Amino acid sequence: MKVGEVAQLLILTKVTGRGSLEMEIKGGYTSDLLSNVMGQAKPGMIWVTMQGHHNVVAVASLLGLAAVIITGGTKIEADTITKADENELTVFSTNMSSYEVTGKLYALGIINRQ
Amino acid sequence: MKRFIGDFHVHTLLSPCAEVEMTPNHIVLRAVQNGINLLAVTDHNASGNVLAALEAGRKYGVTVLPGMEVECVEEAHIVTIFDTWGQLAQWQKIVTEARKSLPPNNANKFGGQFVVDAYDNFICEEKKMLLGACRLTAREVIDKSRALGALVFAAHIDRPSYSLLGQLGFIGEELTLDAVEISNLNVSELKEQKFRPLIGSLPYMTNSDGHNISDFIQGPKNFLEIKEPSVEEIRLALKGERDRKFKPGYFVGFNR
Repeated sequence: MKVGEVAQLLILTKVTGRGSLEMEIKGGYTSDLLSNVMGQAKPGMIWVTMQGHHNVVAVASLLGLAAVIITGGTKIEADTITKADENELTVFSTNMSSYEVTGKLYALGIINRQ
Repeated sequence: MKRFIGDFHVHTLLSPCAEVEMTPNHIVLRAVQNGINLLAVTDHNASGNVLAALEAGRKYGVTVLPGMEVECVEEAHIVTIFDTWGQLAQWQKIVTEARKSLPPNNANKFGGQFVVDAYDNFICEEKKMLLGACRLTAREVIDKSRALGALVFAAHIDRPSYSLLGQLGFIGEELTLDAVEISNLNVSELKEQKFRPLIGSLPYMTNSDGHNISDFIQGPKNFLEIKEPSVEEIRLALKGERDRKFKPGYFVGFNR
């Protein structure tokens, strides 16, 4: 499933302008501990987090993630959006909790195959 | 130049997780007995025992700096240390405002939060929960406290929880910290290898983060050579400028 399709189905708010919505999502990861994400998330995954800090962008770009969903209505720092656009990373915002978003992604068939 | 054995991260019995033996009077007395002559009292998001600690410091001849360990919105602990009580009082206002609407403390579960005077007399119990994140981001905590004159360091970056490094993955240059604190005793081993690429050029500190007397005395300290015990001098020492020295990994009693 593509990033754009997921965004539509989950009614996510896109906060960035330059990232591709055509990227194929290859699984997902949910965590707010960035050091943990660095070690566990894989390229092409969609990442669900409550952190709005701009290091999120650095970690997502470093790993080549498909997109980031920032949950719980977390205030996203202006720096985060600027840096995401510079790195052509798509970032979404939602009022849903990480639990709900992750469940919905799973229900859409976005699961991690070994 | 004067020599100091400094511990910049010590909790009093105001922190729910600290033992009641950690009265300002007792901390300073034990510091004197163990050759620790520079201390910062740093309770979680609170400063109610700082005045007593300053008074105890004057009583025993130990320099006590007013401080606070703040939890930012990213759930990391950042320690702020000031020269004067007035600066800390201003900082406390900002932190308190950013922590409104938190639930009351459950003393049975988390521990009591006690305010005392410099002679171990009970004054009151703090009813609001002092643990928990405020609404300020890490950057806001650093920038706002620095604007009031604080020395700022990221607490225990080598621990699994409440570490700025753990929460953010790496520490970027826009976070204008003075240092990062390592709590593990294996300082030399950890030092250059693991963290260096993730923290940029920030210097290391080693403090006890004492929540009881035994951890406070046995925990790591820092050896300093500075002109006077002030935020500016400690900052110079951390940078190694103008012949000031700052050596982390110092232990009282069995120094290596």
